[in-house]
Amino acid sequence: MPILDFLLPKNGKKQKVILLGSGALSIGQAGEFDYSGSQAVKALEEEGLEVIIINPNIASVQTNKGPNKKVYLYPITPFWVEKIIKIEKPVAIISSFGGQTSLNCVIALEKNDVLKKYNVKVLGTQVDALELSEDRELFAQKMKSINAPIAKSHAVSTVEEALKTAETIGYPVITRSAFALGGLGSGLARTSLELKKLTQSALMTSPQVLIEKSLHGWKEIEYEVMRDKTGNTITICNMENFDPMGIHTGDSIVIAPCQTINNTENNMLRDTAIKIAQNVGIVGECNVQYALNIKDYGFYVIEINARLSRSSALASKATGYPIAYIAAKIVIGFDLLELKNPVTGTTSAFYEPSLDYVTLKVPRWDLSKFSGVSKNLGTQMKSVGEVMAIGRNFCEVVQKAIRMVNENEEGITTNVFNNASDEDIEKELLSPTSLRVFAVYETFKRGKSLEYVYEKTKIDYWFLSHILYLAQVATELFNFFKQKEKQDSFTSQDLYNAFKRISKEHLQRLKSRGFSDFQLTKIFLSARLSSKVKLSIKQIRALSLGIRKLRKKLGVLPVVKQIDTTSSEYPTRSNYLYLTYDGMHSDVSAKKNAKSIITLGSGSYRIGSSLEFDWCSVMTSGYFKNKKNDSVIINCNPETVSTDYSASDRLYFEELSSERVLDIIDIENPKGVIACMGGQNPNNLIQSLSEAKVNILGHSQKSVDAAEDREKFSAMLDKLDIDQPEWTSAVSISEIEKFIEKVGFPVLIRPSFVLSGTLMNVANDKQSLDYYLSLTKDISADFPVVISKFILDAKEIECDGVAKYGEVILSLVTEHVENAGVHSGDATMVFPPQKIYSHTVNVIKDIVRKIVKGLNLNGPFNVQFIAKDNDVKVIECNARASRSFPFISKVSGVNLAELSCKVMNNEKVKKILIDESEIPYVGVKASMFSFQRLDGADPVVGVEMASTGEVGCLGEKFNHAMLLSMEATQIKKPKKGVLLSTGRERDKVKFMEVIDNLYKLDVPLYATKGTAKYLEERGYYKVNVVHWNRNPRAVDIIIDGKVDFVININKNLSVDELSNNSEIRKTAVKCGCSILTNLEKVIAYLRAYDSYSELQNVENCISL
Amino acid sequence: MEKEKKMLDKKYKKAYLKLSNGVTLEGRAIGAGVIVSGEMVFNTGMLGYSEAMTDPSYLGQILVFSFCLIGNYGIPFPKDGNLFMSKGHESSSIKTQGVIVSDIYDNCYHHDGGIFLEEWMESQGVSGIAGIDTRYLVQMIRESRNLWGKIVPEGGKPQDKNKFEFLKNFQDNEYVDPSKYNLMPSVSTKEVVKMGKGFKKVAVIDCGAKWNIMRMLMERGCEAHVLPWDTDFSKIQCDGWVISNGPGDPKNTGDLVDRIKKDVLSANKPILGICLGHQLLSLASGAKTKRLNHGHRSHNQPVFSLPEKKAYMSSQNHRYAVEKSSIKSDWELWFENANDDSVEGLKHKTKPFMSVQFHPEASSGPNDTSWIMDKFVGSIKK
Repeated sequence: MPILDFLLPKNGKKQKVILLGSGALSIGQAGEFDYSGSQAVKALEEEGLEVIIINPNIASVQTNKGPNKKVYLYPITPFWVEKIIKIEKPVAIISSFGGQTSLNCVIALEKNDVLKKYNVKVLGTQVDALELSEDRELFAQKMKSINAPIAKSHAVSTVEEALKTAETIGYPVITRSAFALGGLGSGLARTSLELKKLTQSALMTSPQVLIEKSLHGWKEIEYEVMRDKTGNTITICNMENFDPMGIHTGDSIVIAPCQTINNTENNMLRDTAIKIAQNVGIVGECNVQYALNIKDYGFYVIEINARLSRSSALASKATGYPIAYIAAKIVIGFDLLELKNPVTGTTSAFYEPSLDYVTLKVPRWDLSKFSGVSKNLGTQMKSVGEVMAIGRNFCEVVQKAIRMVNENEEGITTNVFNNASDEDIEKELLSPTSLRVFAVYETFKRGKSLEYVYEKTKIDYWFLSHILYLAQVATELFNFFKQKEKQDSFTSQDLYNAFKRISKEHLQRLKSRGFSDFQLTKIFLSARLSSKVKLSIKQIRALSLGIRKLRKKLGVLPVVKQIDTTSSEYPTRSNYLYLTYDGMHSDVSAKKNAKSIITLGSGSYRIGSSLEFDWCSVMTSGYFKNKKNDSVIINCNPETVSTDYSASDRLYFEELSSERVLDIIDIENPKGVIACMGGQNPNNLIQSLSEAKVNILGHSQKSVDAAEDREKFSAMLDKLDIDQPEWTSAVSISEIEKFIEKVGFPVLIRPSFVLSGTLMNVANDKQSLDYYLSLTKDISADFPVVISKFILDAKEIECDGVAKYGEVILSLVTEHVENAGVHSGDATMVFPPQKIYSHTVNVIKDIVRKIVKGLNLNGPFNVQFIAKDNDVKVIECNARASRSFPFISKVSGVNLAELSCKVMNNEKVKKILIDESEIPYVGVKASMFSFQRLDGADPVVGVEMASTGEVGCLGEKFNHAMLLSMEATQIKKPKKGVLLSTGRERDKVKFMEVIDNLYKLDVPLYATKGTAKYLEERGYYKVNVVHWNRNPRAVDIIIDGKVDFVININKNLSVDELSNNSEIRKTAVKCGCSILTNLEKVIAYLRAYDSYSELQNVENCISL
Repeated sequence: MEKEKKMLDKKYKKAYLKLSNGVTLEGRAIGAGVIVSGEMVFNTGMLGYSEAMTDPSYLGQILVFSFCLIGNYGIPFPKDGNLFMSKGHESSSIKTQGVIVSDIYDNCYHHDGGIFLEEWMESQGVSGIAGIDTRYLVQMIRESRNLWGKIVPEGGKPQDKNKFEFLKNFQDNEYVDPSKYNLMPSVSTKEVVKMGKGFKKVAVIDCGAKWNIMRMLMERGCEAHVLPWDTDFSKIQCDGWVISNGPGDPKNTGDLVDRIKKDVLSANKPILGICLGHQLLSLASGAKTKRLNHGHRSHNQPVFSLPEKKAYMSSQNHRYAVEKSSIKSDWELWFENANDDSVEGLKHKTKPFMSVQFHPEASSGPNDTSWIMDKFVGSIKK
């Protein structure tokens, strides 16, 4: 038997194995671990094991219920894992599929002998090897012993040591902290002053910091290695960063396979990777990162990850080789030769994939969502998501990827820097932000040389020369169309005629270099359209259909290619597909009979659209797969489960642009397309798809439009006599002022968005209004500002459900812990609701019925409310699946996604009435913030969403679920001390409800002057007073480590007040303190301590 | 900037790939403008085009690179122009008849890349076509048991038949089928070449040997004597033998097999056969060879060592293989292909004779089996 002895069934009973997840998504640890964990579950279940999942990430696919699976939505901490070990008595635990979180947890469990005590074996790479890979000093020694070169480095634990070390190796130096993910605490120091600052902050969170020689300008290259217990070792894929060393891999554009290295370099690095895996003792998967210099084959090993990683997920999607699935088989005892390559089904898994295409990953940053954060890229990862483009040349993939990540139809020609000064562009080249690639393009457009850009950026010439080529091609096309006389309007026929003048070969070539029809249209318009006319995206898209028509006539069409791991050496029936114009022949032929159902995925993860929409997509695709439809998925996010080859019958790893989706529809000839399960991104396509006569399943385009168009929606509410906060859509400052005169402050401002980042804000007074308006560049008829009355101290309530032909099938109500003013994506949500009267629930459900009827909804929906006293007002309605779907589905036991599918499939469905009060437990969904990774970000939450992930924990009572979900989002019980400042007088009053609980925690209490005075007046002594700018200063208390928990409530949302407190909050984040800034959340949390010891002593944990 | 401008303005000259199955594909002519013909083969390695193109085993073949971007890092070229044993080259000239690529990078910025791929092809009189859907072509080659092709550039002239001896057997209107003839005279050295200085003297029977075989022998302290294929082996004084890789059908090698049997096997010195050398040694031992449906030509061929129970990634380039059932009883199966179980290596049960179908000298491809060179050199007692 290939499987390890102790994993075999005993007395006819399956053995249990614990698989740890990675918890809430955060920067540096995102959806890729749901992908690897889900593949692992599949691989383990197939071998007759019962899998115990511990992961509070309720929106993940791996935490779905299953027949051979038990799911615990608990924090991944030694305490809870031990408790579950006690309950479940597993024989083994697997650490390598849940990122750094699970790795650290397993190391801790081994160190405190828990695993020994319960006789639980660690599968795969053993703990000593894990530690070796994590401890930089040990790792350095190991590398030295096997002659693997590493950069000169020194572990230090004080600032003085750091400075001394840097003197000996010479500036610039890089600092890295041990035991941290995503390069936390890393940075580049050019001077001793910079180094001092960096090490100071790094040492706050890590006992050890490594000082290394800076390798700025070297190539950064990675290898994914797989090794089995008998020592068979392969490298699955290599990858190369477009950005040179100095920018974190997670923030780099990455190409796979490597493109600028030769055979000698490749095998030199590959040999070393294999040697490292063998000598460290990897069993399973690991990745090895290198810096390679550009002159003489010199290289350094940077680090290894002895586990599945973001890169391994990317490598899986880039090659088609299911790394996590195979790694899971290996850790339970298989060797590679006992396994088949699942893509071919016939050849060995001991195989290094050969690619006949290239893939390009581009990260997605949402830095404009965070106030104060530096937009510069460096050694700390800041991106929140990524996309991957597949094509047959670099120009094609770079353009595709840029469209994917920005959710538009343009590529590299997007006008980002066209109005920028040469100096600003040069600055961007020298210190890159997320917009670097556009700056490179613009520089070439302005006629600068390759050498010039290389000197500034150190991006390899190979990459640069392709961008230069694109700039030349676009300019050439512009010149071809340029005319002195400009026109004010065009028809799509004009575009047809204009492009007919280009030869078919040239048009084919433009398409094969990744130019979209939209992009070509824009180039044409820039040459011909009068400058006073501005066309909307919708209008340009309509014009571009002229080019589409021409292409179809000429036969300039994309072909479909398979990803098969073998470059066609062996025949495969791979269902993993992409489209390219750089080819003559499709691997799969067009479908004639309308059988398939296409589910549009969510695209890149970003703030506001994450794992939860992938869960919805996976559920949808799975549903139609089980119903024996041809289930097709289109998505471009390599971190997802939906892009696993087994999630659908056919996967198109493609752009979610209307052009590309229509291309696929032309090939698939589908029965229907589902756009309401992948979040807002696919939802935005409904209009253009409807115009192209595509059969959209679910809500009609009219319903979606009526829900999304504020004017229409508002008018409908008025007609139905449903209350809503006063609002207006203003096109000028005077209109805004007029509105405020009528309703008074505070108001919520929502400008039309330009390029990601919506700048939503609450203005409390004239000053903050002016400030926020100054951030939104122009206000005009094209870019109106929506302003609404902001209601203070109101509760926020949501209702999620499914409707069929205007009738509610199911509706479920959730409440927010925080009052209105915190974005629903950041809020702490409770289901079933605990603090709403049943009368209010009934009122809400009644309103929902009316809205559903009014909009004639037919599918999933979400309605948001605010309630104050007995007034309930509607804020908005989303005619699509919402972020809460997995949470509510898992707590209520009714799968809302599946129910939506039934409706969309036009099946008979009965109304489902759920009495929320009869649900046996309470679920609390809490948000995870990644402020710690965003240098300079103010961790205050507001109307603009800022969280990067979420958890959902269950408890017998609210307090339990609250405590668990806080722990799972890194809000830890104070041990050292608490720093308190409680805002307004009325907030101080309210806070007194829980002051005793705070005292019961029995840790030193520090408070700002006003708060301390307030407490002392009420007989609460032992408060240490701290000040803003006089000793003892609040920030020093934090820096000195006297407190590890900060409660910081703003007096109001004025600019002054926010900036006053931001220093405290930022320092708290930097020092790794738990921080809460919302009064209701603080109260709920401290109140939950009533049940703290009860929770700690529970004997049974709740499982799904 | 000049170079890039050229890239844009370049007037595309068309070329056609005319295949023996009647299909014609159109693309852009690259390299020299001559009409060439050969057996259609593909390689799925993603790097190592210069090593592959100079590998004499590709003689008489048109090589299709399945990977879509070829030429990215240029062609290493020594400053003095002396290519002999130069890095990135496996023989003194391009041996493929022509190459087919999807996209060719007509530039070079790699520190070790002296000239562009296209320049190099042009200077060596080798034609090619770019802009072909190579994945499609690979599938076509895979599906047809035998496929020959002809690269016809617009205005192309016929190939100079003096380039390789075997070409003289073919008329201009014929498809060149290299396996029909003995290719040894076309690739083997004309005179003995001594390389390196060492304690152990290894005779390399040059059937189209890749330079890396000699490099590795020298690195291991051997003196390599590269012998013409038609040398009288009975006169050779050496401590061990390497029978090299090379092109063509092992049975189409004149009296080579007989002479190996008579003069090399009987010498009882350590022998290492590589690729064609493995097939020749097997034939000399009495085993049989067969033509595979399509060859193994890639960097990712998994081979399994039976005695060790361990697998290695190997670089391969062959169409013929030893028949498992024909292996003589004094030999044992050493390596097997983990994908299709074909014979990948043999070892004599009592004598220091060994041979492998794959390339322990790699170049291009993974170095995982370089230990076979260690083992061979180690087996030379001196």
